[in-house]
Amino acid sequence: MPPRRRSADRWRCGGTYRAPRGERRAARALIAAPALLAPLAAAAFTVTIASGNPTTIYLQVGNGTFTGGNFDAGGQPANNTTINNETVTLAAGVVGNGTKQAMTTNSTASNSFYDGFGFCSAGTQLYIGGFYRRNGGSSAAAVVTATVPAALIDGSGDTIPFSQISWTTGGNGDAGAEPFPAGTFVAGGVQTVGTIARNQWAESCWTFSYLNTVLPPAGTYTGRVTYTLTTP
Amino acid sequence: MNSARAATLSLLWLLVALLAPAAHAGRTSPIDDTGTLPYDAPLVLRWQQLSPRRPVNNTLTGTTSIRVRLKVGSWMHRTGRIYLLLPAQSPGTLTASWTTQGRLLPGRVISGSRTLVYAGPVTTAFLEDVLQLTLNVDARQMDQLYHVNFQFQMDED
Repeated sequence: MPPRRRSADRWRCGGTYRAPRGERRAARALIAAPALLAPLAAAAFTVTIASGNPTTIYLQVGNGTFTGGNFDAGGQPANNTTINNETVTLAAGVVGNGTKQAMTTNSTASNSFYDGFGFCSAGTQLYIGGFYRRNGGSSAAAVVTATVPAALIDGSGDTIPFSQISWTTGGNGDAGAEPFPAGTFVAGGVQTVGTIARNQWAESCWTFSYLNTVLPPAGTYTGRVTYTLTTP
Repeated sequence: MNSARAATLSLLWLLVALLAPAAHAGRTSPIDDTGTLPYDAPLVLRWQQLSPRRPVNNTLTGTTSIRVRLKVGSWMHRTGRIYLLLPAQSPGTLTASWTTQGRLLPGRVISGSRTLVYAGPVTTAFLEDVLQLTLNVDARQMDQLYHVNFQFQMDED
């Protein structure tokens, strides 16, 4: 029999060591203990969740189309290719006198497709609105920009800078800041005209004016502004 | 008593002390639910509120049917309480609610907690029910697929 050693030493030494019977029992008990204390196999069913919602955007400037009712009743947006006009006709005596001239619109959109609420005054106000839905961690808003030509042009090539047109904003029942604030066109540029926060419907009514601070030749001047909704 | 015997007895007492809670009433054990179908249920979530307008509702929701089969034979002829545990996990705060066909209790649980679904004697080897399980999650947390783990637990009386 080898000399008695402290139990901790035996793992450091070569050779065979046979522990006394009492220690063997303890060792067996210690080996058994982890087995008894180990948790039972943890069964667990799982549910794999996935979002069925791709990023969805909708922008309406002027007339728009929904099918199946308003949005809050399950309606869904559809494409509408209408290009609405904002117009003003100035009498010869007032051209260039610096007095703003209210513009009118041929847009007939007065009710919000969100819930049918009479939000804008058709004929004088242009509806602008939409929504933006997406999952995930990004909280950035979608941005609406206007691509503005440098000028309105008549048949003779005469021009009026687009910066001669501005707008105010509002909406029936609204108070506080509008998602599409008041502004003035930046001639020949792309400007941000509003934002739509994630998972929100946003809408405003714009009333356009011609600033009337230039003196162009008589004529019919036209130009087209294109609005774009861009998601982050 | 020699020192080896004293050491042995000390170890045994330690073991008894360690093992005692496990044998004591009130012990919590996971239940084998491998008979549950589907065991990894796919669930496509939808917006809870169709229309995105203030106040903002970012909740995604979905409901699936789960045929639960719990192997409870180990607790036969004893009484206990069964809980449905929804561990804290990705993608963050989750809420699960369910209805049953009567064998288990309907309820609701938030991730990181558990809810009682059964209390009483165990008289059969398996406890079965069909759950209509609805999961709600904040859409802002949903960047990918997530495997949401559940666990049934038995608290012995």
